[in-house]
Amino acid sequence: MRSRGRIAGHAAFVIAFLALWEFAARKEWLDPVFFGNPSGIVAYLWDGFAVKRILWLQLGYTVAGTLVSFFLGSLLAILFALAFVTWPRLEQAMDPYLMVLNATPRIALAPLFLLWFGLGIGSKIAVGTSLSFFIVLSSTVAGIRGVNPDHVTLSRTLGARPMQLFFKVTLPSAVPVIFSGLRLALIFSMLGVIGAELIAAEHGLGQTLSYLQSTFNMNGVMGLLVLLALLGMAVTRGMSQLERTLLKWQ
Amino acid sequence: MSAEIRIRDLVVRFGAGVLAVDRFSLEVEAGEFVSIVGPSGCGKTTVLNLLTGLIGLELGEIAVRGMRPFAGNPDIAYMLARDSLLPWRTTLENACYGMELRGIARATREQKAQALLARVGLKDFAGAWPKQLSHGMRQRAALARTFCLDSPILLMDEPFGALDAQTKLQLEDLLLELWNAERRTVVFITHDLAEAVALSDRVIVMSARPGRIIADMPIDLPRPRSVRALQKDHRFHEFYADVWAKLEQGLGRALEEVH
Repeated sequence: MRSRGRIAGHAAFVIAFLALWEFAARKEWLDPVFFGNPSGIVAYLWDGFAVKRILWLQLGYTVAGTLVSFFLGSLLAILFALAFVTWPRLEQAMDPYLMVLNATPRIALAPLFLLWFGLGIGSKIAVGTSLSFFIVLSSTVAGIRGVNPDHVTLSRTLGARPMQLFFKVTLPSAVPVIFSGLRLALIFSMLGVIGAELIAAEHGLGQTLSYLQSTFNMNGVMGLLVLLALLGMAVTRGMSQLERTLLKWQ
Repeated sequence: MSAEIRIRDLVVRFGAGVLAVDRFSLEVEAGEFVSIVGPSGCGKTTVLNLLTGLIGLELGEIAVRGMRPFAGNPDIAYMLARDSLLPWRTTLENACYGMELRGIARATREQKAQALLARVGLKDFAGAWPKQLSHGMRQRAALARTFCLDSPILLMDEPFGALDAQTKLQLEDLLLELWNAERRTVVFITHDLAEAVALSDRVIVMSARPGRIIADMPIDLPRPRSVRALQKDHRFHEFYADVWAKLEQGLGRALEEVH
């Protein structure tokens, strides 16, 4: 009951805020060129998704870019992490280079990636992947190193072969730590993709946002910001749900 | 009859030549319950790890059922000080773990694990996660996992060391009950002399580092035993006093060598 009351409170606040915004815009207390208005935002989104349907394609590009860079970055990171844990000398050798790369603000690599991979989705995936890779790499290495030595000892006395030890002990014990990296990596993949789209792109919500901003379509800009916020929330919720299902033993 | 476990003139050095175990020789017959007691750092766990093949032998001879030790020896079931339950597996799946690694079919291992869980009093907790169990219950699950294996030799490294006194007595009785039914060979490491006397056929007393055997004491209390009933038995207390005296001698000798 208390949570229902809280939701009602939030709804009342948001409605009051939107009504005030709408009222202020109509009275021209707020300049619609810079702030837009809620009814205009709804009209833009309705038009984009239900009438002209042009936003579906842009949304599709951004979501596809995000998912591909998330999976690619995570897969590469997990493979690297496994190699590092198996051959610590490889990690020692590569550490300084990875440190420099990780310290570089990845979004600054976007112009380079645009030249290499073009204006299409490839350059977006490159930026997204470069962000998700390092996050998953460090969490996977930490997760694998954090395995309980008692579990390893017990399994070895029971005759576990290296692959059995990995799949039955090391991997499941690392999953919670890897997961916290994956959750962050998904958000950062989206950040990388939208950032690169903002700089230069043929498609995507970032590209649309940049176009709307340059044409002073403030209702469009605000509408896309709402859409991106909802997308970010959906991604986080989805990951939390998956985590709860996979890690119900925690 | 040849011994199940035979250790001869074992010497273990750590790092820069620190002598950890010195000329350790021990024979354990089939079906014997032998405890090794000694102060911390005397090399008790090292001896156990050598028997499991987890660490390599440098000097001396070790034979487990006539063979050199090797990791994964199916003749051995090992129980560690901490329960080592895998937190992502239910109690039943944990009880099955050893059998699973040893390639026993799912139906067979689940049937056996269910039976063992019932014997250790965890019948209703087969589907529970380890985090939902108390310390005592977790160690019961670890006992079930150990006894599910048909290994003739059990190596136990202070399995009840972290439990409160009451729970410890309950689990010691449970261990004796399980052991009594099959009479497997047990090497039991503990620093609790009362536990060693109550459970064992023989108590091996080790000195402080470098660990040497300073006494090998038969405990001829009748079996089957009840650890709780023994608390009121005067012979149990006599054995306890004897073992304690030997241990003190060992500690004294070690202190003299230090000074």
